[in-house]
Amino acid sequence: MTSRNSFWGSCRENHKRRIWVWIVAVLSQLLIYGGVTMIYLSRIKGFYAEGTYRSLAEFKQAMYQAARDAIGFSDNLYPVIMLLAALIALQGFSYLYDRRKVDVYHSVPVSKNRRFAVVYVNGLMIYLVSNLLGLILGMAIAASQGAVNGEVMAEAWLAFVWNLAFFLAYYHLMILAVMLTGNRFVTICVFLVFTLYEIIAYMLIGNLKAVFFKTYSGYFVYQRAKLSPLRDYTSYIWQLKNVENAAEAARIAMPLAAKWIGIALVVLAVAWFAYRKRPSETAGKAIAYRFLEPLLKVAVAVASAFLIGQLVYDTSYQNEPLLVLGMLLGGLIVCAAMEVVYDFDIRSLFKHLLSSGVALAGILAIFCSFKWDLFGYDSYIPAQNKIESIAIDADGYYDSYWDENWRYLDEAEYKKENMFLTDAEPVLALAQKAGQTDTEEMSENRTVQILYRLKSGRQVDRRIQVDYDDPETEALLNRIFQTDAFKMGTFQAITDETSYDHVAAVNYSNGAAIGIIPGEDAKKLRDAWVKDMEQFDFTLVRHNRPCGMITMGYGAEADYMSRQYYVYDSFENTINFLKKREAYYPVELDAADIDSVTVGCYHNELQNPYAGDPGYNLYRRAAEAEAVDTYVDYTVRETFYEEEQIAQILPHIYPSYIDAPWGRYGGAAEAVEDQNNYSLEIVFKKDSAYPYDRGSYYFNYCFRNGEVPDFVAEATAYTGEAE
Amino acid sequence: MIEIHNLTKYFDDIKAVDDVSVTIREKTVFGLIGTNGAGKSTVLRMVSGVFAPDSGTVAVDNMPVYDNVEAKKKLFFIADEPYFFANANAAAMEHYYSGIFEEFNREEFYQYLEKFNLDKNRKIATFSKGMKKQLALLLGICAHTKYILCDETFDGLDPVMRQGIKSIFAKEMEERGLTPVIASHNLRELEDICDHVGLLHKGGVLLSKDLEDMKCNIQKVQCVFSSVEDELKALNGLEVLKKEQRGSLCTITVRSTREEVEARFATVDTIFYEVLPLSLEEIFISETEVVGYDIKKLILG
Repeated sequence: MTSRNSFWGSCRENHKRRIWVWIVAVLSQLLIYGGVTMIYLSRIKGFYAEGTYRSLAEFKQAMYQAARDAIGFSDNLYPVIMLLAALIALQGFSYLYDRRKVDVYHSVPVSKNRRFAVVYVNGLMIYLVSNLLGLILGMAIAASQGAVNGEVMAEAWLAFVWNLAFFLAYYHLMILAVMLTGNRFVTICVFLVFTLYEIIAYMLIGNLKAVFFKTYSGYFVYQRAKLSPLRDYTSYIWQLKNVENAAEAARIAMPLAAKWIGIALVVLAVAWFAYRKRPSETAGKAIAYRFLEPLLKVAVAVASAFLIGQLVYDTSYQNEPLLVLGMLLGGLIVCAAMEVVYDFDIRSLFKHLLSSGVALAGILAIFCSFKWDLFGYDSYIPAQNKIESIAIDADGYYDSYWDENWRYLDEAEYKKENMFLTDAEPVLALAQKAGQTDTEEMSENRTVQILYRLKSGRQVDRRIQVDYDDPETEALLNRIFQTDAFKMGTFQAITDETSYDHVAAVNYSNGAAIGIIPGEDAKKLRDAWVKDMEQFDFTLVRHNRPCGMITMGYGAEADYMSRQYYVYDSFENTINFLKKREAYYPVELDAADIDSVTVGCYHNELQNPYAGDPGYNLYRRAAEAEAVDTYVDYTVRETFYEEEQIAQILPHIYPSYIDAPWGRYGGAAEAVEDQNNYSLEIVFKKDSAYPYDRGSYYFNYCFRNGEVPDFVAEATAYTGEAE
Repeated sequence: MIEIHNLTKYFDDIKAVDDVSVTIREKTVFGLIGTNGAGKSTVLRMVSGVFAPDSGTVAVDNMPVYDNVEAKKKLFFIADEPYFFANANAAAMEHYYSGIFEEFNREEFYQYLEKFNLDKNRKIATFSKGMKKQLALLLGICAHTKYILCDETFDGLDPVMRQGIKSIFAKEMEERGLTPVIASHNLRELEDICDHVGLLHKGGVLLSKDLEDMKCNIQKVQCVFSSVEDELKALNGLEVLKKEQRGSLCTITVRSTREEVEARFATVDTIFYEVLPLSLEEIFISETEVVGYDIKKLILG
């Protein structure tokens, strides 16, 4: 039998004071595992009964997935785990808040270390036992419905370890909060500060950069909390829910769990040190250590001030004086409120004005450093000899990117991993030029995202605005676009050597006709296209529209993905290959194949009569505020059936279906005026031999800018009677 | 023996205990007297290891007490507001303390409970303030520690219960050398129980003396002298602490032994004289007036 004064005897005695925590922990875990498992499985069964699944195997797979969602990596669990961690720690160590309890516990012959260990281990046991009970109940329910296999079990145990690490991080954080404070309210506040401060700080810094720095990007390098298990958990849980197998889950989850345990151990060491040093007489006080009061006050006041300022700024249509006023007032109020909380006395509002002054000075200093860019954020361009490589994303093109498991990749993530420009000179020249040019003076102002990988290992990302119509910019972009590094980092088709084995269908389209190429020719076609891409540069794509587009469609094992390859008139290898397979069709159509062309003119010039006026935005906002419908349809349509007229129209149009990468868009109004003002619908003759897509009744085209024939303009002129 | 040397304790900027040095001998009842805020509770908490002193030392049987399990095994501290677990009864508290104090005498505890008419199964939360103090005292006594530290514990006890507790103290002192240390703001409460008294004021010790020594060395004499010459002759060479005269009746407090006073008065011509016993209160008044304090303001209000 265990001695009553032994460690485990003390644990047993301590459990008696924690019965209600046991009940809360066990009930919550049983509910969250058992209840959720039942609900998820029942839903899948319901779908099966409705015939949602095509086969029993598919149904079984859905049941396994539901079980994984319930007892494996589940997004239902983390709020419960955090709450339990906080509750267990708070209840276990809250005797430190009560002078009467401290009198008893600190006067009896039990060492401080023993007491800490007993309360700590008991808290851990409460979580472990309740979590295991919940997990076992969830497994039993899933097993009883045939929703458990090896993968589900393996993932459930992995999730158990990951959740335990998450629990430890917040359990220890709350213990630390208890050790630094003297009453429950302040402890909970400090716990929230510990939990959210880093996340909020990164968010605020990001917002400030976005507001005040022209070159702030966040495209390649998104600065976010690095030490917050909560941020990690919420960021990775979706990835973990969708992994293929337990091994992959382990690859993602275990390093994170190890990181959390590392953080938890450091926090525990600090908490234990604080416990050892904590004077018993601080029971009931707000903060156990006086020196922490001003530090905490300044830290919380600064963050709160910027949160309040952000709120004021966003709700006042970006009013900067109000932002400053909101920040200072907010900071002052928070300082005063914290003094009241420290003393539990309303008369303490204006105590310790020195620390309040430091907080306000800090707020102003931070604001000024952003407002006037005191640290030269916008003007920063790394020295060329310090750059290892660069990745850029020039606005105007989007490809589909995926990994070896056919999962889509974020564009920025792909480029970050695959583009390594070593010739930094044109990029730096672009950045310098952008810094010296006012965007208002640009003809077509477009964004270029830049990631500098420095030799020091640091990664810096910036956003610059460049003028695509500027010849000097074009020359610099050509130098970048011509590099293999740019092409490989932009067009996955160039580097992808394996996915052609999975191509199920290949076609070429000029916007209307579709030519079919056998799947086994996919690799050869791609090779021809890659060869043609040697001539690729910015000038090519800027000044030429694609004459057609190849689409490679992948099979079921590749999740029916597809990828487009733009083809230009100068792509001889590709065009010859297509011609040999009788799959090439020029972009220009023959009037003899066309039944009619319907032209619609929107008359944008009448729609927004004040567009361009300085007061237009004010007028539009006022109209929106009063919910006035200012839209009047001035569209005039005319259908042309005469072959002669159609023949005059066809040389001036191009298919809307095919985008022009890095081409013009709304930035330069006069350049796209006709494209935006006119629409064309082309209907082919039913008896035409032209291999147009028979699945479509008509095909959308646009006029090339400035090429609207006069008779079309006259026929669609607005005469006061819109349709 | 509990030895307190130059003990000082601050609460923020407030000096709660100021350079206190006291020795508490074994098998004596030590009374710690002082007004509210004098520092009694703080001294007791430092002696019991609840508070760490800012400077100075506390040694229990030559062992430092703060976070020292061996030293704390010799102590049982009863705070002015004793704490009992939520929803606990006397039996539950016995279970807790008997798990911690190896010498806890459970049989004795339940006997005492019966004697004091305390129901072991009744929730302590339903006990009166006095009953809670009785229970705390019984737990402390039955823990069988060498020292029991009581902070205002006798306040709120009715005279019968006080007498009962005093009897138990006497018995335990006799049988196993218990040393009670009793802090109180009320001098009269300690008069009939303490062997040694320490007087705290504003965090410091005004005096610390054995009661017997104080009683033996201060005498109060009521007398009517035959003449002024007789009076001068009688008082010549005696340390007169206080002298009051109503008509011809003099009340004189002198620092001296009874024998010396009687011998001196026998040599002079008096119409009447009598050496009277001094109450603890009177002794304190005399002793503290000597050092410039008005004890009535300090203790008796």
